[in-house]
Amino acid sequence: MPELPELDPVIHGKLRLAVLSLLVGVEEADFTWLRDKTGSTDGNLGAQMMKLEEAGYVAMQKHFAERKPQTLYRMTPAGRKALAKYVAALKRLLGGAL
Amino acid sequence: MANFEAEGGTTRDDLVQRVALMETMIAEGRRSTIRFGWIFVLWGLIDLAPVGWQLVVPHSDWVEIWSWPIAIACGVAIQFLGMAILRRRSSVACSSSMRGRSISAVWAMMGLTAMLYFAGAMISHKAWQISFAAAMLMFVGMAHGTSALILRWKAQGVVACVWWIGGIALFFLSYRYWLQIFASEMCFGMIGFGLYAMWLERRNRAAEGQTNA
Repeated sequence: MPELPELDPVIHGKLRLAVLSLLVGVEEADFTWLRDKTGSTDGNLGAQMMKLEEAGYVAMQKHFAERKPQTLYRMTPAGRKALAKYVAALKRLLGGAL
Repeated sequence: MANFEAEGGTTRDDLVQRVALMETMIAEGRRSTIRFGWIFVLWGLIDLAPVGWQLVVPHSDWVEIWSWPIAIACGVAIQFLGMAILRRRSSVACSSSMRGRSISAVWAMMGLTAMLYFAGAMISHKAWQISFAAAMLMFVGMAHGTSALILRWKAQGVVACVWWIGGIALFFLSYRYWLQIFASEMCFGMIGFGLYAMWLERRNRAAEGQTNA
């Protein structure tokens, strides 16, 4: 029997998966946009973004837009690769139902 | 919005939920929040203004020469002001996508090309030529067509065809139909399309409000 694939625990968290799915369709997005789209709190999102950064799946950049501080996130090539691998693993686990 | 508390579920239901979450978020990320409909309405009105001005004050060289540059300058100023107000009103929340930048680039370059072309024709006193007017309509048709292809938006494709038909029609009809064709293009292809886009933007914002509630 073929071995079942393991799901990347960093991506498998719902909020982290939601963030990566949002980032996959855009070049970059700011923290507020991600918070609004996911409906999460500042604290929770901040903690999850840190985990994604530590895993090398997202890159963060801070700058000022119209005198307001802005934190921009973009998905790294490693993040895209990991998400693609996660989707492939999900497909196998669900028996190709995707 | 989804409940993000559960972290490590691996049952079939959990996995199916992950798939649904990904689909929702990918669609959410692609949803555009840019307000652009008003820009079409603005340029439709701006382009009709000099024609109206020339009809109100006929046979005036000054109006004939200066009505277009003044209208275009006003249009550029109003557009920049409107964009600044919109940016200030909305929060800093934003995202940028390749698609959004492509659309902006198409329209910015079309606007720049049309302005340079117009300036050259005005300075050389060749703006009255039928090919000049036809080319202006074709420029707008090309921008609408490119945008329609990028967005896969059939309604905008129809608008592009209307502009192209107008441009071609100018070559076959007498110059005295120029005003009718130009006014029809502006009313349908600019103001009408802009109002339709504004209605869609309003509907999307209302739908987003309901989703986030």
